[in-house]
Amino acid sequence: MIWEELKDSLIFTGLQAETSDDVMRQLGAAFINEGYCKETYVEALIAREKEFPTGLDVDGIGVAIPHTDVSHVNEPGIAIAVLTDPVTFIQMGTDDEITQVKLVFMLAVKDPNAHLENLQQIIAIIQDTEVLKKLLEVTEKKEIIKIIKEKENSL
Amino acid sequence: MKKKVIVACGGAVATSTIAANKVVELCKKNGIDVEICQIRISEIESNLPGTSLIVTTSKVKRDYGVPLITGMPFISGVGVEKTEAAILDVLKA
Repeated sequence: MIWEELKDSLIFTGLQAETSDDVMRQLGAAFINEGYCKETYVEALIAREKEFPTGLDVDGIGVAIPHTDVSHVNEPGIAIAVLTDPVTFIQMGTDDEITQVKLVFMLAVKDPNAHLENLQQIIAIIQDTEVLKKLLEVTEKKEIIKIIKEKENSL
Repeated sequence: MKKKVIVACGGAVATSTIAANKVVELCKKNGIDVEICQIRISEIESNLPGTSLIVTTSKVKRDYGVPLITGMPFISGVGVEKTEAAILDVLKA
């Protein structure tokens, strides 16, 4: 279950960021500080996002799931951020359609097939607009864990 | 006969893992024997021989001469049924 692995140090509520790069730098720094990712992670993340964007428009709610090559990752993890103001991400599968994102799930993936279940849980969370709406209202880290726990227990 | 399906994304990290699993489940349900080749977009060309279908979660501008379907609905959850029907159309042909 994802909620059991969520750490306060990787959850951000009311995050202030100017751009999508800014979000990735702030969350990436937390991943690096906590030892989940190598120093190279942030630049690799930003470069990959430019080439293969990860913004999603889920029935009008903007979400992004930035991630990058496994070689920049030490340990798998998930960082979650709720932004005070939206930033622009390009939509996955396009190179010019944008989506305004206030909810970011950043992934540190080490071995995709070993974590298939976790990846599927994340996708299930992202596809549930009711869950996304709840997450957007959150002001405390504990609430994020609670919402995700409830969702996972319902799967 | 076993059908070979390439499932590709930018880094073969997250989204193609999800999409590949969906394609496997879909084929199992429909009795289609399938072999999945999960790779990066940049590796599609060298893996083309014998491929019946390409599913990607990134934009691909090239025509590989093989049917190509976007697997984005598997990630966003929007339009999954239509995508599944399109995949089955190609693989049952």
